[in-house]
Amino acid sequence: MDRPSPNFHPGLIGSAPQAPAPPKTGVGIIKRRRGTGVYVTWLVAPSTIWLILFLIVPLLSIIVFSFWQINDQNVMVPNFTLVNYAEYFHTEGFFDPSSDKFLTLSSNILTLWTTLRLTMEVMVICLLLAYPIAYFLAMQVKAFKWQLALFLMCMVPFWTSYLIRTVAWVPMLGRRGLVNKFLLWIGIVEKPLGFLLYSEFSLTLALVQLYVVLCIGPIFFSLAKIDNSILEAARDMGAKPYQIFREIILPLSLPGVAIGMIFIWVMIMGEFATAGLVGGGKMALVGNSIIDLMGTGQYPPASSIALMLMLTMMIGVFIILKLVDIRKQL
Amino acid sequence: MKQKSVKSTATTPKNGVSRRKILQTAAQAATVGAIASGFPYRFNIVHGAESFRTIGLGVSVINEIQSKASKDIGHRIRGQALGYGAMFGKMLTQNTQYEVAEGYYNDMDVMWPNKVWQPIDTRRIKHWDQISNLAKTGKLTPGSQYGQGDAPFRQLWLDSNAKVTLNGPTRYVTMVPGWHNADSIGYNPDETGRVIDSWGDLMSDEFKGRVALLNIPQIGMMDATMAVEALGLYKFKDKGNMTRKEIDFVIDYLIKKKKAGHFRALWETFGQSVQLMTSGEVALESMWSPAVTAIRAEGVKCIFASPKEGMRGWHGGLAISAKVSGRKLDAVYEYINWWLDGWAGAFVARQGYYMSTYKRSKNYMSAAEWDFWYEGKPAATDLPDPFGTIIIKKGKIRDGGSYEQRFKKIALWNSVMDENSYLVKRWGEFKNA
Repeated sequence: MDRPSPNFHPGLIGSAPQAPAPPKTGVGIIKRRRGTGVYVTWLVAPSTIWLILFLIVPLLSIIVFSFWQINDQNVMVPNFTLVNYAEYFHTEGFFDPSSDKFLTLSSNILTLWTTLRLTMEVMVICLLLAYPIAYFLAMQVKAFKWQLALFLMCMVPFWTSYLIRTVAWVPMLGRRGLVNKFLLWIGIVEKPLGFLLYSEFSLTLALVQLYVVLCIGPIFFSLAKIDNSILEAARDMGAKPYQIFREIILPLSLPGVAIGMIFIWVMIMGEFATAGLVGGGKMALVGNSIIDLMGTGQYPPASSIALMLMLTMMIGVFIILKLVDIRKQL
Repeated sequence: MKQKSVKSTATTPKNGVSRRKILQTAAQAATVGAIASGFPYRFNIVHGAESFRTIGLGVSVINEIQSKASKDIGHRIRGQALGYGAMFGKMLTQNTQYEVAEGYYNDMDVMWPNKVWQPIDTRRIKHWDQISNLAKTGKLTPGSQYGQGDAPFRQLWLDSNAKVTLNGPTRYVTMVPGWHNADSIGYNPDETGRVIDSWGDLMSDEFKGRVALLNIPQIGMMDATMAVEALGLYKFKDKGNMTRKEIDFVIDYLIKKKKAGHFRALWETFGQSVQLMTSGEVALESMWSPAVTAIRAEGVKCIFASPKEGMRGWHGGLAISAKVSGRKLDAVYEYINWWLDGWAGAFVARQGYYMSTYKRSKNYMSAAEWDFWYEGKPAATDLPDPFGTIIIKKGKIRDGGSYEQRFKKIALWNSVMDENSYLVKRWGEFKNA
């Protein structure tokens, strides 16, 4: 049987250059190439078909629907109209100085902005929390078994369902929740604090708790990959701890930071359920607007909003990748 | 998704089922996936037996109902209970994937023009004459008042061109009227300290920070509009189909209230509304009637208000996919006739829902059940839910009085307005304020 060498993985994009040089005999070249070609085709076929069916086709249909229109009869009609996009940006009275909406951005853009702001806040908090934790795990904990054990402990919350992790905040932060009971008991407050639950505070808190592990993981792995001998060499050369951190550890851990940021970015920009459960539905995220429209069959405007969200997300990922060259640094 | 359910997707919980129920309901709402029901009995292949699918909310699509129907009429019926959003989407876009749609009249403005359902011949409906006048004329009793919005009688009759017409009765209809109910405000009397008897109380400053509204734009808006009108702030021409100016007035008012910290939360699922009240977060909230039973089951006081302005009604029914024909169509008609026969009506009555052929349901209910659920009298004995668990203790009285009292004064029916997308957009602004 004709089989590539064990260290040659034809299915992996980017690893092709590492393929060992083909044997020099002409027959061998042809045979090897043909064999590999068939092999590759079979290997990539399932994932390609999967991607076409469940990514490309739905995406194209969203793009197509975003140009369709709902007529007066509530029927979705094929069309090529920019009406959904115009409506996306449109504010009644935007150009009218006498209107109270004068120069106010459209509600869709404001919703996008709210989502963006919340995502940024959560991302910053996640990074601030995740980096020290990952640093401690990778740099301070020496024994591998303890590293693993502690890392698994970070993952424990993921063993329960999303819903339970989220809903558990309610008896914690509610008016009669644990935190309020404690605060009342030690006498710091006289009345239960309302802002603890169903507020931007609780939403941010829950999102950080839900997604911080997605930050800890990649940062931990990129920190753990740093060769100890480099750090020793730096110390031998008389580098101070903060110099070592700034010039060696931080740059080498940036790919992990970037991957963590991308995870958080993609997850929270598309978030909608937590906003209802612990945010009390008082903040509208883009996901919520899409659902509200879908609920009455308004697929064309929902599609245009979805595409604008996707565009924003792609720009975000692009910026993160511009800041950190993941491929080079890995 | 989290998905939303406009009508309660949950059944009335049994005693002691609390958190699991909430999570279940939330999960139900959170999943687009649905539960296809399998039947516990062995199906006998009878000559002429057909197999068909029905979809709807957990209000009407319940294993026990479709399984009993399969046994009685000899066709294999598979039911799929969905969350509201998923149900709506499937009904609208995949009418080859179901034969029967257990839908709602407030969605008719979208469903009918899209031609996903077929006209139903009332001559083939055996008990058509026994369907009450609530659905046919909008008046349950001669002295009843018409409610505004998508009342079934406005979405029922079809003219000779198969267009919805107000000039009933006609031979063909959009959907056969079925189960229905009316929603209002639920409150904890210990927290409010007084009786809640007006929609305006939802906006009263005495309950600042202790109020929750329903976060489904179309219905949340109606509750808010009822409140604004009850307070005398604005007189609406038609609360079931508001103009942009009217929508603006209500949303601006809501934004002002929200900025002042009036709303504790906006709820999306049945479970959330229960949990808001049981955890003491709110004193009053817009509520679906089965939630009251669920809250009481947890030992928390809760009363379903009967606002003097009238309640907000909703009405479901049975529609047939446009793709069904031949023998399958005959089987589907048999299923619809079975629904109207009374057994199913009695079943849903034990969850607090009313049925269009309610006089037939009476044959399948005990006298004590009938008196409690329909007549608003004290329970003569302990009464069970449809699954046999006792949920009503002897001597209890149903809030809101008898069926007639409740339905002769429906202020407003759940509706999708012409300015729906504008409403959704502005509702988003309210949430972001």
